[in-house]
Amino acid sequence: MLHVGLAHFLAVGALLFALGAYCVTTRKNAVGILMGVELILNAANVNFVAFGHYSWGGIHGQVFALFVIVLAAAEAAVGLAIVLTLYRHYKTIDVTRAERLEG
Amino acid sequence: MPVSLADILALLPEILLSLGALLLMMTEVFLAGARRGYQALLAALFTAAAFAAFLAQRGGGPRVLFGGFAVSDGFALFAGATICAGLLVTVVLGAGFLAPRSAERGEFYALALLAAAGMCLLVRAEDLLFVFIALELMSVPTYALVAYLRTGDRPSEAAFKYFLLGAFSSALFLYGAALVFGATGRTSLSGIAAAGGGKLLLAGLALVIAGLSFKIAAVPFHMWAPDVYEGASTPVTAFMAVGVKAASFAVLTRILVTAFGAPALAAVWQPLVVALALLTMVFGNLLALTQRNVKRMLAYSSVAHAGYLLVAVAAASRGFSGPSARGEAVSSLLFYLAAYTLTTAGAFGALAALERMGPDPQPWDLDRFAGLAKRRPWAAAATAMLMLSLAGIPPTVGFIGKLLVFKAAVDAGLVPLAIAGVLASVVGLYYYLRVVVVMYMQPAPLGSVPTPASWPLDLVLVATATLVLLFGLAPAGLANAALSSTGLLGG
Amino acid sequence: MLAVSQLGSWLPIALLFLVAAGLALALASVSALVGPRRARGVHDESFECGSEAIGSARERFGVKFYVVALLFIVFDVEGVFLYPWAVLFRELAWPGLAAMGFFVATLAIGLVYVWKKGALDWEH
Repeated sequence: MLHVGLAHFLAVGALLFALGAYCVTTRKNAVGILMGVELILNAANVNFVAFGHYSWGGIHGQVFALFVIVLAAAEAAVGLAIVLTLYRHYKTIDVTRAERLEG
Repeated sequence: MPVSLADILALLPEILLSLGALLLMMTEVFLAGARRGYQALLAALFTAAAFAAFLAQRGGGPRVLFGGFAVSDGFALFAGATICAGLLVTVVLGAGFLAPRSAERGEFYALALLAAAGMCLLVRAEDLLFVFIALELMSVPTYALVAYLRTGDRPSEAAFKYFLLGAFSSALFLYGAALVFGATGRTSLSGIAAAGGGKLLLAGLALVIAGLSFKIAAVPFHMWAPDVYEGASTPVTAFMAVGVKAASFAVLTRILVTAFGAPALAAVWQPLVVALALLTMVFGNLLALTQRNVKRMLAYSSVAHAGYLLVAVAAASRGFSGPSARGEAVSSLLFYLAAYTLTTAGAFGALAALERMGPDPQPWDLDRFAGLAKRRPWAAAATAMLMLSLAGIPPTVGFIGKLLVFKAAVDAGLVPLAIAGVLASVVGLYYYLRVVVVMYMQPAPLGSVPTPASWPLDLVLVATATLVLLFGLAPAGLANAALSSTGLLGG
Repeated sequence: MLAVSQLGSWLPIALLFLVAAGLALALASVSALVGPRRARGVHDESFECGSEAIGSARERFGVKFYVVALLFIVFDVEGVFLYPWAVLFRELAWPGLAAMGFFVATLAIGLVYVWKKGALDWEH
């Protein structure tokens, strides 16, 4: 029978984390990399809420997730602004072609 | 959650910094005339007030704020005062560097003050949630600062690199925090220590250490540092090298000692930190050796200094050393942070003073220092003093800092690590002294354009060099202040 | 093995899906059967605003779309904090109101900054 429990949520969280890390390390598109970072943050959020609900009760995990959502938005805003300045200089957001500093 | 007025008053330094930032933002839209010199003055005033607030709060015992989210203890106050000192140098550097390039804006100071508020909150965080919020409040304005002064393509590329690795490291830290929460059900550092846990807790610990290792630029998490330090405009580089590093080290130490201080856990993380320290000292110094670009050299040097600071963190593990040895290690860390802040901020000031305006293919080449002793003897003497302090040669504060850290390591039973540290600093002698040799022994290259003198930059140079010498000759005051600041960290 | 009683607890959700799918199908087919067919001329254009519906989806957008989107996200997401406060409004009483007032005032300063900088000026 199908019973959705802590293990399922942790599996989803781990999967999101792995996908995010893969995205950050292999994508060439700056916005794609940014999305990878967001995936990792949300993987942590899934874990927080799942642990809070199944293991410990209370709203601690949810409060944490709420703050993470807001901070992630602020971070994404600054990140996209930086991508825009990068684009203005290089006319591309392919990170392998926007490379002028040595090593 | 009981919130008392006393709790809010305890955050006075951070409140001052934030209000200053908001005020500066408003001056930029309402009072933006041609002359913006008052903005630097305003920023410096708020920073000095925050510094004074930190000093005024010393003496009281450790206090828990906001029902356990933050603390006010000697460790936080000392680290906070150090950060404010670094910010003050950054503000003066910014005034001297940006005004001639007509790039002085309220946003620069506002972002720096906001980031510093985040740093000061970070060093007093007692809960993983508070740590994460403060970490982001420190990092997000810093990402924007790196992109400041977009004259070439370097800042935007450096900002992007820094943003990516910074966001990635924050995410790693957060995932680790989630695992720690899952293992213990707590997010407060003392609660985690009381609960303990199994394999899940260890996985969380590893991710938390990895995330913070990016921020302190420890090898092998350092690859962003040279590019970002080189690409950012010089006052911003000084701010990153000084403030971000000091705050990240303080929070790393607090998390490791308070939440993971149990002997069984310390037995796990101490070898990890020892390995990081060893790698960071060796590779930081070796990579700095080959750099002719002084800005990159200072970047690698700041990586190497992270290694020495990690030695102090390793010595602070409670599992192997008694409480007195731990206190010694923590105080040596604080002293080293203060010494490093003064010296590094001053060294980047020297770099800023030599930078030319306009496009320049080799702005930070070693040749820029040639003949400086003839052209500007005082600047050369101050730079030489700062280089000696970075190398750890008496009679400078850098020497005392290294002495205290290595002594703490020996007392904690980490003799091989201390020996490795001494050997690594001998390697460091070469590239620091090379700058001094070039300044005093080589004539200025023909046709070189002398850079215009700027009094704020000269002020930074002379003030930091004087303090470096003063604290080197009479270190007792600073060392005692550091020693009395270790009654902290939940026992 | 799925016991009938456990299956029963999923029944409302299954019904919801059925109703949703049925409604969508019904509306589409009714519109197709009885609606007049004059899909030509102005009817194919977007109504009053928005970008052209026909053409490559990979077209470039103006940078001002990004700026507005960024500002919207930031100010929108901050609203998340208002909900828990609203739920606990009575328990938090005056300290809560003061804290939220400070929070909103900070956001307002941010808005004033953005406004005066001209980031909200679409024509500029």
